[in-house]
Formats: sequence, structure tokens, C-alpha cells
Amino acid sequence: MLTYIFKRLLIAVPLIFGVLTLTFFIIRLAPGDPAAFFIQPGVSPNVAMQIREQYGLNEALPVQYLKWLMNVLQGDFGRSFSRAQQPVIEVIAGALPITVTIAVLTLIANFVLGIIIGVVSAVRQNTFLDRFMTVGALFFYSMPEFWFALMMIILFALKIPIFPASGLNEIGAEGFGPFGFAMDRLWHLVLPVTVLSINGAAGIARYVRGSMLEVIRQDYIRTARAKGLPERVVIMRHALRNALLPVITLMGSSLPFIFSGALFIEVIFAFPGMGRVTVEAIFARDYPLIIANTFISGTLIVFGNLLADVLYAVVDPRIKL
Amino acid sequence: MNELRGRLFSEGYRVSVRILAFCFLLFSVIGCGGRRGGASGPSAMDSTLVITSLGDADYLNPVIGATVTSSNIFGLIYPSLLQSSFDTSTGLLNYMALEKQLREVSGASKKPEAALARSWTFSPDHRTLTYRLRSDAFWDDGMPIVADDFRFSYMLYANPVIASPRQQYLAELAGAETGAVDFQRAITAPNDSTLVFRFHKPVPEYLALFHTSLTPLPAHFWKDVKPEEFRQSRLNQNPLGAGPYRLKSWKQQQELVLESSSRSNLPKPGNIPLISFRVVPDYTVRLAQLQTGAVDVVENIKPQDFEGLHRAAVPVEIKTVGLRVYDYIGWSNIDRDLYLKSGRISPHPLFGSAKVRRALTMAIDRQSILDGYLKEYGELSSSDISPSLKWAYNSTIVPYAFNARKASDMLREEGWVPGPDGILQKDGRKFSFSLYTNAGNERRNYASVIIQQNLRAIGILCRLEVQESNVFFENLQSRRLDAWMAGWSIGLEIDPMDVWGSDLEKCRFNFTGYRNPRLDRLCMLAKEKMDPLQARPYWMEYQELLHRDQPVTFLYWIRETQGFSGRIQGEELNISGVFYNIDDWTLRPSATLAP
Repeated sequence: MLTYIFKRLLIAVPLIFGVLTLTFFIIRLAPGDPAAFFIQPGVSPNVAMQIREQYGLNEALPVQYLKWLMNVLQGDFGRSFSRAQQPVIEVIAGALPITVTIAVLTLIANFVLGIIIGVVSAVRQNTFLDRFMTVGALFFYSMPEFWFALMMIILFALKIPIFPASGLNEIGAEGFGPFGFAMDRLWHLVLPVTVLSINGAAGIARYVRGSMLEVIRQDYIRTARAKGLPERVVIMRHALRNALLPVITLMGSSLPFIFSGALFIEVIFAFPGMGRVTVEAIFARDYPLIIANTFISGTLIVFGNLLADVLYAVVDPRIKL
Repeated sequence: MNELRGRLFSEGYRVSVRILAFCFLLFSVIGCGGRRGGASGPSAMDSTLVITSLGDADYLNPVIGATVTSSNIFGLIYPSLLQSSFDTSTGLLNYMALEKQLREVSGASKKPEAALARSWTFSPDHRTLTYRLRSDAFWDDGMPIVADDFRFSYMLYANPVIASPRQQYLAELAGAETGAVDFQRAITAPNDSTLVFRFHKPVPEYLALFHTSLTPLPAHFWKDVKPEEFRQSRLNQNPLGAGPYRLKSWKQQQELVLESSSRSNLPKPGNIPLISFRVVPDYTVRLAQLQTGAVDVVENIKPQDFEGLHRAAVPVEIKTVGLRVYDYIGWSNIDRDLYLKSGRISPHPLFGSAKVRRALTMAIDRQSILDGYLKEYGELSSSDISPSLKWAYNSTIVPYAFNARKASDMLREEGWVPGPDGILQKDGRKFSFSLYTNAGNERRNYASVIIQQNLRAIGILCRLEVQESNVFFENLQSRRLDAWMAGWSIGLEIDPMDVWGSDLEKCRFNFTGYRNPRLDRLCMLAKEKMDPLQARPYWMEYQELLHRDQPVTFLYWIRETQGFSGRIQGEELNISGVFYNIDDWTLRPSATLAP
């Protein structure tokens, strides 16, 4: 397996560089100008030119590419155009903890809720509860996240004002003490995490239900019941472990989400996370930041897939890598 | 078995429901407790004014700061040489030093106590402006504010490596005519309290005052920063100012907090102890927060939300400033393909004739766009001189009324007659085009649908195309669009040559390709007048020309609307800025600083 992992990692290097190179050229060929903000009446035409000069955009494209390549090989992704020339690594370091906090909470809620709903639906197949859950899951799964988020805000922040509508902390939260501050932060995360996890859990529940239904019809489950094992043991120990195999692939593919952020939720709840950083960078044609973000999400997709494959082999002895 | 299974899961549910209910209760309790810091005691909100903004500040440095939020913030942190006020009775800007003002204005409420200049003298040849500065002004670190701070700052504004977006202000200074300001001559500081500006040509006094009142930086604080490192300097995030507020904390893309600066005498420490600028990108959320009292000021409220705000749990007031923003439909006056290929200029096959453009304006029911969307928060426009600039506005011009029949007649006179499919045609060419606009503007989307219907009614086929803002702007700039809907926000000084000047290479914002030598001449004559009021006749004629030629269809002026929490008191909104007198605002229940 180690050789397999090593090989995959080796292939990943040129793959990621290929992606970055493509991104480098595509964003430069796309319409739009990082200095466009400075082209307006009352602002000297020299300003846009000087800004382009500072960003090194007046040089020929191959020269720009070579310079960029040399810098990236030394681990320098440059400075952001749109965020006061902060090093892009700093911009990302600022946004990442916020995104990771939300994503980890969301993923835990996603999988816990999704698995519970999926198992219950499968075990009580074709009952009212199953139909209710199936319809409910589909209802939430098909609901656009941004709309659901706005509805939650209108309901729980405006009509019944028990949760805050946006932000990470209350005004003056620094004065609440460390525990109060952490609780205030959690209180601010309730709505966004609920929105994200209800939506995600619905999808996972569908997977779990399907795979659980397949498993509980297997002979060995019948054998387990015939042995007189309690139903809880049959479902939890014998059926669930096998039914969760496809969910592991989902876990692997969730890795990029943890770091790349949930754009709509970040915009609506005003969280300065990775999703917002990426989209704002695209709108502002902030090339260094776009490339650094592509690097992060590209790397994570590759690693996520690798992780899913490896985990699959770990939990399923039938699979050999 | 089924019974057993049922019991198992129903027990599981009960436990889950209990856990969920407990979590909900816990968060609600924490939330309500945390929110106001306890039910009875004063909360942080009582002494904090919360302003929401769409985007964050970039640099807290007036030399390079370019976003609206940055300007709002450094207006509170930094001192200014003069104070300006907008005279609503004339529409003229007034500049004030402690002991002198450009013009006498009746009923001006804000005294110029924050101005660093005591007075000024302007030479009779309009080439030398000498300021006398006050000696009791200090930076937050206790160092005095001296004339050399201004000279130092202007050198930063002029430095091409720093690329200040305000370098245009230095265009009249001595030496600028040759490409680089000669600082030995242009700005001198004979002593700490005397500051002299010299111009390479006679400059009207109001313009000289306007262009010499750029915000200064403390020279002693910035002197060691190299120009090439200026934009990257950490000092941009930790500014040293002298104004009524100073930076307390800044979590980028989240919240920037200013605290009242107790030492400030320019003019005094701000009344409200803390001002928080919170970044909330989503409009609906900003609105919800204003309704719940979580924030105090939300800019650019949409007219359809006024009713909801009036029913809000906390009192909210809608306030407006003057008319500075207008929407228009641009028509390419010239054949842009020919111009782009060969540089030759010939009229556009559809929009080349002024009569056709007038007909298009008449065919569009602008009033119903106003009635349906902006209501009383908009006004029909007939040129780009705002009715708020009363001294220059030509009130005798009546905007073209909606008259589809007359529009059809005018088009027929120009040779446009209906074809077999009902679409107008001339010399085998159909009157059909795409109207482009930028994505994400609800008002323009609303207007564009009405415009499309109106034009279809007289036999013109108009397709609506929405483009991402960057792409739209680039297409506009490179004159790749025949017709588009956009808007301009005007400055308070009239200077329209960039938009209408006949030299299409030089006038970068003349997207329509409109050329009228008389209009060029009028703009030049108006600029030469040393007193703006003497330029009034030129601006009157200028508006008549635009009304007659309709290089664009001027749609409407927009009264920008701001939502204010009812707990704010003492605010005076002004066309020159929403936060014009923010240091005088108080909050109810008030927690102002002790004297």
C-alpha cells in the first residue's frame, strides 16, 4: 500500500503544477483587469499604469510565468492585489481557521445526522416515518442553500430573534471572558452550521439508506438474527459497519470542502472564510490569490481522493491496493 | 421483532429530541445572556455605533486608500487642512479655515473647528496660495502637526512608485506641466505654521483650495518607509492620526473598531465612544440586522424595503442625501467597428442621428420606471448636471415626455419604416440591437425590461444581455458595445470633458463617441472662469446641447437612501457624505464620554 500511496503522490505533483499553470494562463487571458478599479473619471490615467507596473503585469506573459514559477518553487505565492498587498499566505492563514471551524462542525453534524436518518429510514422501510424522512431529506436536499439560509435568518433572527443574523461574535464579545467568548462564537455558528448540515445530511442519509437496505437483506444478517442477537447489535454492529463503506468515499471527497469553504454561507453570514476569499479574488482579478486558492483546493482534491481510496482499502479487506 | 425495533428507535428519538432541545435551550440562554451582557447592566451596544458596509477598508492611509469604507474611516482618523461643506441653497462647495471661509453661507451648522488652517491668502495672479496653520494641533503621539507634514505627504501623493489614486489633485502645481511636480518651487514650508502652494497656471480659488486640502500624513512616522515598500507597510494597518477617532482594532473582512480619541482637539473627541464598521456582504442580512437593532446604519436601502423597515421592531429612519447618481442608456453615436478598425469616424447606422436618439428617449416610459421602482426617490434627468448643483442646473429644460406616437413619426422621418415582420427597417437593415448591462443591479434589470417592451411597441427589437461587471466595463472601455445601460456618480465640481470631449483618444470615458466642438468650447470657457458663478451661462448652454443631441438617454437621478436606527441623534446628512458630522452624533440611551 505504501508504494501505491507514494506513486499516487508522485503523480500528484505534475498534476497540481499542470492545474496551476493552466489557471495562471486562463485568468490572464480572461477579460478584466486587476487595475480596472483605478480607471475612473477624476483618477489620473497614470494610476492604472503604475499599478500594473507594480504588479508586474506590463511584462510579457512568458516572463511573468517564469518569474511566478521561480517564486512558487521557493514557496512564495506573492502578494494579494486586492487586499492591501498582504502576502497571500497571510490572507489564507486568516481565512482558513474560520472555514475549518465551520466545516468540521458541519461535517460532524452532516455525518451523524445523515447516518441516523439513513439507518432509521432503512430499518423502518416503507413506514410513514421512512416516507416522511425520505420526502423531508429530498426537500432539504433540493433546497438552494442561500435561500434556506435567508429563510432561517428571517425566521430565527428577525421574526423570533434568538440567533444572530451574521458575524462571528457579538459587539463587545471580548469582554465576556474566554468561556463567554467561545460560547458567543458557538451561538453565532448555530444558524450557518444548521443550514449547511441539514442540506448535507439529507444527501448522506440517501446514501446510507440505500446501502443499508442492500446490507440488511444479506444472508449474514438473517443469520445474526437467527442466532438470537439483539436487534441493536444486528443493526449497529453487523449491518451498519458494512453499509458505511460508500460513506467513506464521501468523507474523502469532503476534504476539499473543509478548506475551500462554503461560499453562500460565508457571504450571507458575513464570515471571512476561504469561499469568500476565492470569489472576491476572482471578481477583483487578484491573480496571486486565485492561484494560491487553486493550489489549496487542487491539492486537497487530490489528497481527498487518495485518502478515500486508502480508507476504502483499510476498512474493506476485499480491496487490495 | 418489529415491536422491539420500534421501541428501540422511539427511545432513540426521545433521547435525540431531548439532546436537541437541550442544545437549543443552552444556545438561546447563552445567546440572550451574551447579547446584552446581562439583562440589567449596560451592554457594549449602548456605547457602540455599528455601521455596516459591503466591503472592508483596504489601506487606512489617505495616500493610497481607495475604497469607500477606507475614505469614511480615514475621514475620522486624520486631520484636514480645511473643512468643506455643501451649501444646499446654491449647490456650491464651501471651504473653511478657522478664521476664514471661501464664501458666506447662511445657516451653516458645523463650525470649522477641525480645520488645521487658520486662514489663507491667495495671490491676485491666482498662482500662489499661502496657508497659515494653527499651532495647537498634535498627532496622537503628541508630536505637533507642522507645515512640513503637508509637503512630505504631497511628495508621497506625487510619487509614481506609490501610485496614489489622488495624484490628479497635483496637476496644477508648479512643474506638473512638464510631467513631474517641482517640489522645490511647488510646495514650501518656510516655518512650521506657513505652507505655500505655487501653481503653474492661474487657478480658480475654489479649485486651489480643493486640490490643496489632501489629507496629510505624519512625516516623522512615515519618513523611514521606502516608496517601493509603502503599500506593503504595516503602518497602513496601524495609522497615526489626529482626528476625533483612532483605530482600536481591525479584524480584516470582519470588523474595524474606532475609539473616541480623548486627546483630540480637531475638533474634539467623538461623542460616541466606539464606532464599529462591520462587513456584511449580503443585503438581506444587513436589512434584517437593521430591523432587529443589531446594526445602526445601512446604506443604499432599496425602495421596496421601506415599508418593512417602518414596521421594524426598533425604530428606523430612512434618510436621503442629494442627487449624485444617475442611470442612462448609452448609444454608440459612431460606427464603432469602423472606428476600431481604421480610426475613421462616421455615424452609427442605428444611433448616429440625434433625431433617432431623441425618438428613442421619447419612446421609453421613464416615468413608469420611476413609479414602479424608485418612486419618490428618483427624478427624471435631462443631463448630467444634478438638480442638487443649483448654481449650474438648467431648470428650464423639461425632460422629454413619453410619447410613442411622436417617436414613431420621428423615426419615420429618418427613414425607419415597419418591415413585414413589424420591425422597423431602413435600407434593408433592421432596427435591432443588444442592450448590455452589468450583472447584479436590480434597478437596471427592472428598467431594462420596461425599455425592451417600450421599444418593441414602436417596432424596435432590443435584446437584453447581462455581463459580469469586469467584462462589461472592459467592453465599454474598448468601445465594443452599441447600446448599454450604466450609471455615473458625479463629483461635486463639474468637469465633464472626460465623458463628452471630442478627442476620443484622450477622453477615455466618452464611450458613446459623441463629438461636438461647441460643447468642448463651453467646457473650456467654464473652466477658465475664476468664479464658478460666472461659468453658469456656459453650463446652461451645455445642458441644452446635451438635451438636444441626446448622446445618451438620460434616465433618472437616484436619491440614495440610508437606513438609520432611531437611537442615533444629531446626524446631519449631506451630499458630500453620509458621515459628514459623525463626531457630533450621540446614541440614545447615550453613553457619551465625560467632559
